Amino acid sequence: MPTKRSRAFPRRAFLGSAAASGLVGLACGAGPAPPAGPPLIELVGPDPARGHLLRDGGLDGPIARSEDHAIVIVGAGAAGLAAAWRLWRAGFDDYVVVELEDAIGGTARSGELPRSPHPMGAHYLPAPHPECRALEALLDDLGLVLGRDAAGRAEYLPSAQVCAPEDRHFRGHRWHEGLYPGEGEDAAEAEAHARWRDHLAALDRRGSDGRRLFRLPVARSSAQLRGLDRITMAEHLQNLGVDPGAWRLRWAIDYACRDDYGCTIDQVSAFAGLHYHLARGLDDHRPILTWPGGNGHLVRSIAERVDLAPRLRTGTAALAIDPDAGEVITHRLLDGERRRLRARAILWAAPRFVLPRLLPPGRDPLPRGALTYAPWLVASVEVDRRPRGLGAPPAWDNVPIDHTSLGYVVATHGEDRSETRPGAVLTYYEPLPGADAEALAARRRELLEADAATLAARVEAGLSVMHPGIGGAIRRMAITRWGHAMIRPVPGLLFGDALALARAPIGRLRPCATDVAGLPLFEEAFYAGAGAAEAALAELGRAGQTLIADDLEA
Amino acid sequence: MTLPITRPPSPGGARLLLASVLVVATCGLVYELLSATMTSYLLGDSITQFSLVIGVYLSAMGLGSWLSKGIERDLYDRFVVVQLVVAVVGGTSALALFFGYAHLASVRPLLFAILAIVGTMVGLEIPILIRILKDGDELKDLVARVLAFDYLGALLASLLFPLALLPTLGLVRTGFLFGGFNAVVAAACAIAFRDRLRRPRALVVASLTIAAALALGLAVGGRLERIAEEELFDAPLVRSEKSAYQRLSITRDGDDVRLYIDGNLQFSSLDEHRYHEALVHPALGEASPRRVLVLGGGDGLALREILKHPEVASIDLVDLDPLMTDLFTRDPLLRELNGGSLADPRVKVHNADAMTWLEGHLRGGGAAYDAILIDLPDPNNFSLGKLYSGPFYRLVGRALAPGGSGVVQSTSPLLSPRAFWCVVATLEAAGLHPRPYHTHVPTFGDWGFVLLSHDERPTPSRLADVELRYLDEATLASLFIFPRDQQPADVEPNRLGDQLLVHYYEEDLRALNQSRRRVH
Repeated sequence: MPTKRSRAFPRRAFLGSAAASGLVGLACGAGPAPPAGPPLIELVGPDPARGHLLRDGGLDGPIARSEDHAIVIVGAGAAGLAAAWRLWRAGFDDYVVVELEDAIGGTARSGELPRSPHPMGAHYLPAPHPECRALEALLDDLGLVLGRDAAGRAEYLPSAQVCAPEDRHFRGHRWHEGLYPGEGEDAAEAEAHARWRDHLAALDRRGSDGRRLFRLPVARSSAQLRGLDRITMAEHLQNLGVDPGAWRLRWAIDYACRDDYGCTIDQVSAFAGLHYHLARGLDDHRPILTWPGGNGHLVRSIAERVDLAPRLRTGTAALAIDPDAGEVITHRLLDGERRRLRARAILWAAPRFVLPRLLPPGRDPLPRGALTYAPWLVASVEVDRRPRGLGAPPAWDNVPIDHTSLGYVVATHGEDRSETRPGAVLTYYEPLPGADAEALAARRRELLEADAATLAARVEAGLSVMHPGIGGAIRRMAITRWGHAMIRPVPGLLFGDALALARAPIGRLRPCATDVAGLPLFEEAFYAGAGAAEAALAELGRAGQTLIADDLEA
Repeated sequence: MTLPITRPPSPGGARLLLASVLVVATCGLVYELLSATMTSYLLGDSITQFSLVIGVYLSAMGLGSWLSKGIERDLYDRFVVVQLVVAVVGGTSALALFFGYAHLASVRPLLFAILAIVGTMVGLEIPILIRILKDGDELKDLVARVLAFDYLGALLASLLFPLALLPTLGLVRTGFLFGGFNAVVAAACAIAFRDRLRRPRALVVASLTIAAALALGLAVGGRLERIAEEELFDAPLVRSEKSAYQRLSITRDGDDVRLYIDGNLQFSSLDEHRYHEALVHPALGEASPRRVLVLGGGDGLALREILKHPEVASIDLVDLDPLMTDLFTRDPLLRELNGGSLADPRVKVHNADAMTWLEGHLRGGGAAYDAILIDLPDPNNFSLGKLYSGPFYRLVGRALAPGGSGVVQSTSPLLSPRAFWCVVATLEAAGLHPRPYHTHVPTFGDWGFVLLSHDERPTPSRLADVELRYLDEATLASLFIFPRDQQPADVEPNRLGDQLLVHYYEEDLRALNQSRRRVH
């Protein structure tokens, strides 16, 4: 396993200010003495400097050797690993995976703090709807499915399931259960909420073409309501007659959009906004699968299961691609060694916006800027005591009502009763939404140009909204800056021309990362990656039984 | 009205009095914090306790200040007496609350009495002192100095209490220490101002005696705290040990040996045979088990019953706390109770969380069990509630051999009916066939269990031919009868994601407490 932290670009910073939060520990004088000194702040995760290598050029040199592989996968995130899994399922091992970072995972990457592993990005996967049989098969291969119940439904490993309390929200100096700020709602608001639930219930069905109106992957949703992709979620609420004064309902819907898409209801398509609630079916006590390291656990489990190590090249940039000749030029960052990989199929499982920089000029059919991405700030914070607060007890997901952050998820929530260490690791999530490309660029700069101390202070301030004085309990902080965390499903994207162009094959290359699916979800990454691998196998004359298309008509 | 003249103190005496303001203020706040912490500890709900204590204490101080106008003579005597009252009442307050909690119907009246006395006395002190000192200084200087020392003392107490006193001395000895300080101040004043006192000798002797008594209390305070803890258990404590997970307390009163975990009764040796026979033999009578799994049950008492079945070849016992299993393996008294079952060569002890262990067992391809007995603490929190959830019972089902039987201790169907029926509903939702039953355990009341199996089976009617003290086949059949007022409650199964069982359990117990309060 490669190291979780960037070795080539060590970035460590000690921070004094975050510790200066006073005598907070006073009330718990009987507890064990925390280690002295300021918290250790570290920037982890993808290195913006590496990402910019391609943009800025200047990496020239001779080719050391050439290799032939049937398939080259670029990107070892969820999509790239799903592709590797699909190849492994076909008994096919003539492939390599090239990854820019030193660790696999992409936005599902995880890190380690002394107290616990933690997610750097995505942290959970709802147990799939039974119609997603291929995804279920993957989870089964990873040992997450214990068996099936009498009705044939998969049963998941209990330790991977989020246990109660799942969520709570912070409002008016108090925690409340759940994620709808219902306390004190008047009759009109209660009615608006009830109408909204009725609206969702009415949409939880199949369209006239026999497909569910909203499903995963999104491309396989019924064609019936695709018109909803042309308006924003806010416009849809207006069309439904949701009173602008019903702030509780609007908050809950906006929260869902920020949580899944890093966008507000004014920015996201109504189809995407509804998809969040409906894609997995309503009122189904579907478990949520999670691990201390978040989805990094899934990605690592796939790598282990398919024995990826001999075929994995981390710390290696893909510099140039000739899609017609099937050539990928790679550059190992450690020693600058260059190779020419010749392949019959190239699976581009890295962000789509990077691709034009590798292709010959004019070869990319997708106009620049057709896809937009939301920046996110994610930080895992090791605290020496688990914060509680008044009201509802500590939950897995803890969300403030009046703040731009989405609160925090407790990475250590699933620990069993044998755990006696005090403290916890809290993973703080803050999307940085922007209305247009310019606003997003400004937010990206705000994130990438800030130093570790500034970001740490921002995280501490965000947590202090919910837990005043928590600064004194912070021991360590691992901060991840995601300049392009996720594709933004803005109106017109999901079923429009841009996405079709974005995922169209270019010569021997197939774009198949999460972004070309249109929704930033593990499920989408899985179907995009595994689907592209299946198509590549077919081209290579290795078409076997399809795993992916099965899910089409389920 | 003319006041009798009080002779002002010498400059040295004035300094002594100012120093005593500091001590008095520190002590006063320490008693306040002691009372609030103590009642939070005993009664829970710390916000209510702290605000009640602060309110009562401050208003008593106001009362004391107001009453000070009625004191017209012998100011030095009064000051020393007030000190002594504070020393005795404040110094022993924590101990008194401990014993009061054990013996009184409600500890609140005692708490308020302590607060009223200490608060009134502390309220008297400052006005008396100011009047003693008033002739030596200008009023503005005097008030400034006295009140500054007073508030400084409060700061000192608020820092010392959580950081130094509570962690090192504990509640009872902190009380004695500060009572001692009050008594020393009283003694010092009595000696320094003996020519101004009406009864110097009596006060000096009383001060020194009280200081000595409190010092003695400080020395034996640890033991007193232990005795106080025994009062909570109504029987002599023979062992009390704390592990990383819980406090285990063993009491003994003649033949009655009891185990308490964090103050909650786990068994009494007088009737535990009823509980353990009912837990073990219905399930074991059905199968002829060779491989048995016990989840929980670290006291080895269920093991003792299982080992009566000669066909049992191996038992895995999974209990979280190594202290528990060690204690019941080593301690002669406890070993006598469980017949040394934990040391039996057929038994293998695993100290782990039951869910984690079971997942590991299944993942490692471990063999199935013919019988699985689940004897875990009641689901009073989310981490225990997990071990009563559908996904957990799915694991149990996977570890249970096709013809095997299992049983779950499932709280009282009388005291927490919804929790009991929720366990039944959860087993059913997890694809197991549940058969609920109950028995009377005098120290517990009506207690419930659920038999589980893969296939549907009739009510068990036979017992294996082993020596039993409680069960016979006629009694066995009767356990499965639920009278009219104990019919199944309308409940949802316990899912990991919402853990309704924990809510049912809490709500049932709360309702029970309320109805009991109405009855009394």
